[in-house]
Amino acid sequence: MALAGTRSAGQATLALAIALFLGVFLVVPVATVVYVAFTEKGGGGLTLVNFLDFARTDLFVRSFWNSVYVSAMTVVWASALALPLAYLTTRFEFRGAMLVQTLGFLPLVMPPFVGAVAMQLLFGRNGSVNLLLDEWLGIKIGFMEGLNGVIFLQAIHYFPFILVNLSAALRNIDRAMEEAAQNLGSHGLRLFRRIALPLALPGFIAGASLVFVKVFDDVATPLLLNVKEMLAPQAYLRITSIGIDDPMGYVISVVLIGVAVATMWASALVLKGKDYATTQRGGGGLARRKLKPRESALAYAVVILILTLVLAPHVGLLLLSFATVWSYSPLPDGYTLAHYARVLGDSSGYIKNTLLYSSLAAGIDVVIGGAIAYLVLRTKLPGRQWLDWAASTALAVPGVVLGIGYLRAFYGVKMPDGTPLAALWIVIVLAIAIRRLPYALRAAYAALQQISVSLEEAAENLGATKARTVRRIVIPLMTGGLLAGFVTSFATAAVELSAVLILVQSNSDAPLAYGLYVLMQTPAGRGAGAALGVIAVVLVAICMGLAQLAADRSQRARGLDI
Amino acid sequence: MIRLFTLAVGLTLALVLAAGAAFAQTGKVTVVTSFSKDVTDPLKKAFEKAVPGATLEVQNRNTNAGVKFLEETKANNQVDLFWASAPDAFEVLKGKKLLSPYKPKATGIAEKVGSYPVNDRDGFYSGFAASGYGIMWNERYVKANKLPTPKEWQDLATAPYFDHVSISAPSRSGTTHLTIETILQGEGWDKGWRTTKEISGNLRQVTDRSFGVPEAVNSGQVGYGIVIDFFAFSSQGAGFPVKFVYPSVTTLVPANVGIVANAPNKAGAEAFIEFLLSPVGQEALLEPTIRRLPIRQETYAKAPADYPNPFKDKNLHGLLTFNAELSESRNAAVDTLFDQLITFQLEPLKAATKVLHEVDAALAKKDNAQARALAKEARDLIAAMPITAAQAASPEIRAAFTGGKEKSARQAELEQQWAAFAKEKYAAAKAKADEALKLAR
Amino acid sequence: MSKPVRAVGIEIAGVNLSYGTTHVLKNVDLSVRPGELFAFLGPSGCGKTTLLRLIAGFAQAETGRVLLDGRDVAPLPPWKRDVGMVFQSYALWPHMTVAKNVAFGLEERRLPRAEIDRRVAEALDLVGLSDYAGRRPAQLSGGQQQRVAVARTIAIEPKVLLLDEPLSNLDAKMRVSVRRELRALQQRLGLTTIFVTHDQEEANTICDRIAVMDAGTVRQVGTPMELYENPANLFVASFLGSANILGDGDGIPVPAGKRLVFRPQHATLSSIDGVPLRGPVTHREFLGATVRYNVQVGGSEILVETPFQSGGELRTVGDMVGVALPPERMLYLPA
Repeated sequence: MALAGTRSAGQATLALAIALFLGVFLVVPVATVVYVAFTEKGGGGLTLVNFLDFARTDLFVRSFWNSVYVSAMTVVWASALALPLAYLTTRFEFRGAMLVQTLGFLPLVMPPFVGAVAMQLLFGRNGSVNLLLDEWLGIKIGFMEGLNGVIFLQAIHYFPFILVNLSAALRNIDRAMEEAAQNLGSHGLRLFRRIALPLALPGFIAGASLVFVKVFDDVATPLLLNVKEMLAPQAYLRITSIGIDDPMGYVISVVLIGVAVATMWASALVLKGKDYATTQRGGGGLARRKLKPRESALAYAVVILILTLVLAPHVGLLLLSFATVWSYSPLPDGYTLAHYARVLGDSSGYIKNTLLYSSLAAGIDVVIGGAIAYLVLRTKLPGRQWLDWAASTALAVPGVVLGIGYLRAFYGVKMPDGTPLAALWIVIVLAIAIRRLPYALRAAYAALQQISVSLEEAAENLGATKARTVRRIVIPLMTGGLLAGFVTSFATAAVELSAVLILVQSNSDAPLAYGLYVLMQTPAGRGAGAALGVIAVVLVAICMGLAQLAADRSQRARGLDI
Repeated sequence: MIRLFTLAVGLTLALVLAAGAAFAQTGKVTVVTSFSKDVTDPLKKAFEKAVPGATLEVQNRNTNAGVKFLEETKANNQVDLFWASAPDAFEVLKGKKLLSPYKPKATGIAEKVGSYPVNDRDGFYSGFAASGYGIMWNERYVKANKLPTPKEWQDLATAPYFDHVSISAPSRSGTTHLTIETILQGEGWDKGWRTTKEISGNLRQVTDRSFGVPEAVNSGQVGYGIVIDFFAFSSQGAGFPVKFVYPSVTTLVPANVGIVANAPNKAGAEAFIEFLLSPVGQEALLEPTIRRLPIRQETYAKAPADYPNPFKDKNLHGLLTFNAELSESRNAAVDTLFDQLITFQLEPLKAATKVLHEVDAALAKKDNAQARALAKEARDLIAAMPITAAQAASPEIRAAFTGGKEKSARQAELEQQWAAFAKEKYAAAKAKADEALKLAR
Repeated sequence: MSKPVRAVGIEIAGVNLSYGTTHVLKNVDLSVRPGELFAFLGPSGCGKTTLLRLIAGFAQAETGRVLLDGRDVAPLPPWKRDVGMVFQSYALWPHMTVAKNVAFGLEERRLPRAEIDRRVAEALDLVGLSDYAGRRPAQLSGGQQQRVAVARTIAIEPKVLLLDEPLSNLDAKMRVSVRRELRALQQRLGLTTIFVTHDQEEANTICDRIAVMDAGTVRQVGTPMELYENPANLFVASFLGSANILGDGDGIPVPAGKRLVFRPQHATLSSIDGVPLRGPVTHREFLGATVRYNVQVGGSEILVETPFQSGGELRTVGDMVGVALPPERMLYLPA
């Protein structure tokens, strides 16, 4: 079988190339950092004593359970926000469904620091809402206090992951599934609970596990609310404090990675044999039901309420960017364009870098994510699953660990002129690409799973080689899914900071998030930072819109159902 | 897919090479700094004007990240200067042999600002400016909540300030560390920690960034912040309704600059230090967005009328001579104690403090000796320390943080012991205070 | 459930329905009698499934009425219509067992558990799947899945049963046996049933009456035999079985606006003398019981099927033949 031989040789080469990439840019750098977790401080051999210490330290145990609580509750609240939006826009004739889906994605694109400041000004102890509540009713609500504050912010920030996955899953359900239930006397919430939700469970779990892991590993939001007794902040604080050069920070990082892998594994286990959407036959496009006027009013009220809530940070950001002074008052004292004037002058470099880095990173993600999805789902290569697991681990590696790992692994490697490899801006791109790879990977998976193998078999039957089948059949059909992956990676890469902060070597190579960070460390930079944040969000929104347009057009040109 | 992948790899490589070619430059002085853009931009401009041909490349990182960065990249160092406030960060760098000594040629520089020696006695880093610590508050917040105006550190420990004060963690902010260390040196170990804990009982939050404090005060999320002066001054400059006061006993901390070991452009680095210490460089510090205290006495002649002057103002003189050696010897212990006794035990500490405030109020109305005694016991419980000053600087404890052989326990074990100690004492203090309150009412 | 239910009739009057600019149903009038097995027959896209969905409540008519047992069902949502529908894809819920699937509609009606269990057992027994109650749909064959779908629908004792292409997902052999089972079941229950299909054989073999649909209109309603013998128009004539359609000028005079229509087996081959229709044989197929000839007559090709007799004489391609036609078999239908 010469043909089969070359075929698997090509696949094996591809798999090895990806393994090499992941090895060099993910496994090795991370390993150089986390191995410290297995050594006793001050040298000595390998040991597990640090993990024993972890279990015996009240603070860490408390932080662990706090993180579990916050992550789980965030999933609950994010679901509560995502469910109505997903259900209303996929099941009913709902004007502006497209807009809702697009706006529902925006919360993921929240620039660091400045978003939290905006939220404090709106929902903080003395934010607009509480100042007004205090004036009218004499009460204050602790939206942003402690763990509940973290849950509040995280639910708003990460709910798009559930929205996107759940909407896709709901769209993929054969409409006859729900019609059959209606025909047998079921309707409303019962219908949703008994039929739609169980059938959309795979999509929901995919989104929920992503949210759980992201919240578990997020450093920025808890720290900006001054919540330190969670696991990821504990790791961050230890790793970045001078003087405290302690293995415990790395021990916690190992625990974080472990939790993430366990979550992914558990969700895979739950989903085993439950991939309903792809096993259904027949059916057709979704029949959207008409809402009665009263239902319609209620639906719009719910959607507007949810959108107002999840877009509040962006509204706050916008206000802040035009505000002269905003302090202890429901609204800014006055408005000005000065902040934009200030940043537009010297941020064109940041914008250019951000666009370049984000699109390169997202491009790398889509290529590698698509390749891994193909290898796992369509080939029988031994160990192919490991590529998936390795790439997914990136989700859990704290940005600061990856950043330090890159410095350790690549700073000693010199370019011909003596510059360290780690000082090149491409290293920033690679770090961002690795951190956002899981998003593109999941999108590629979803896209490939929906393509019937018979389409590829038909092409091969007509004489196309594997490689040509991939190029002429698989990739065109995956375009929509890959583009979705590109957009997610791109949009979130544009506001990535944690790894960037460690790797940026010069202002001229810095992306927007770094410029924003620098501005946000000065009192006068708050408005300018907000203006830069608005620019970042608008930029990402425009790129998303263009990508969406391109996707629609290519889908329509192919006559595919959108 | 394979072809696409090859294409992507090829593209990546091409970009790597292109980027490498564009990187080489001359006359560039690279500096890692924790100073904000407001500070670095004017100084960069002035420096590039004063030294033609030179360009200053600024890498903005917070102090801790900067130290970490130099440590991780020492094998192939590309940075010329480290430029930050906190002297202890420089001590750490010095200890790790990441600095190279340089004696500035400039003359007319003060030996001491306040009580703090300007330059490292071993010549590894030089002071170029000073800043004072004080209390910053949001006027609107204070007015709306009918709160008093503070004057002294001790004010912050009184009842009206409960839940209104913010500070950054000494383990995260070199300057806060210095403030705590000054209190400990000035009042002694036990008394100093008692003061620190009494103020901490009123804290709203402990931030992990120095700037987190002025940020919260500016936006009105907390009322008062313990901050370094320029944060308050630049906030005022940006229009925020904030005020600032130097307490009568304050610490002046120098801002430093040092040359990194194996600096690629050592000459350029020296030129920058000389520029900072020159009259032109010193005058630049008076700019409203920078607002640091120059260390050349004659520069103050050019300062605005109400500009603080450590060479004249009594309260900026300080009451003691800062012992940098002592500070360095217990650096990690002090930071970790603060974190374990205060930052991560803030809720129990505040719970006990709150009741004690109520006891005080009740006693003011109607005295009760027994209650007073119980309250004192409670305060003593709060003030109790798990280790003595001698232990804090002992080789056993120091080794726990450095991984040395003399250690009696691993760092994690020490932390757990201290946290458990504080938790138990605060709970006991709260019980006593509750009892006292019952009696006093 | 095994006892016959009171059968109800369905009246559809003046129904129009559009999706966007596509006029899917045009002035549809139909009457389905109680207890009847009625077919909607037509090519794909003729509107038959839409009409079925209209009865089930999944589509809304712009004009006209749907009466169930004399009652207008327009205000009723699908879940209140008591109209059992078996979907083309069966729409079995993969996350439920067979028994759970069948129990679903009963649970939605909040029946007591014991009754639900009894009726699920009965329904499964009726379709011969009692042993499969605990399986998941994915573990069943296509025919079994179809029977589960039927059991699930009849378990709720619907007023009428709607079957949307119920045999299309089965292989040819299964179809024959399953359609007989369906007919037997329908007879036993006495349930008014509508059967949507594009396959005339399915409709002819089991249905009492058929509505032939084309492009959103009902072209003719009748028993299978009536439709075959007396098609009302060219569409029905050619959709049910094969038909020769001749215009004026092919040899036989045809009134203006009409066409001459006749079935291939009603014509015979004769000598060319005195026959108006004649021409060369262009093609010959041996079908077993019959032999089919294509004869080129003027501009048209006429199909003639003659019974095959062993030893009988066959025409060969190129032979000039006449096509003889008994006058009573000649239909003149509007063009």
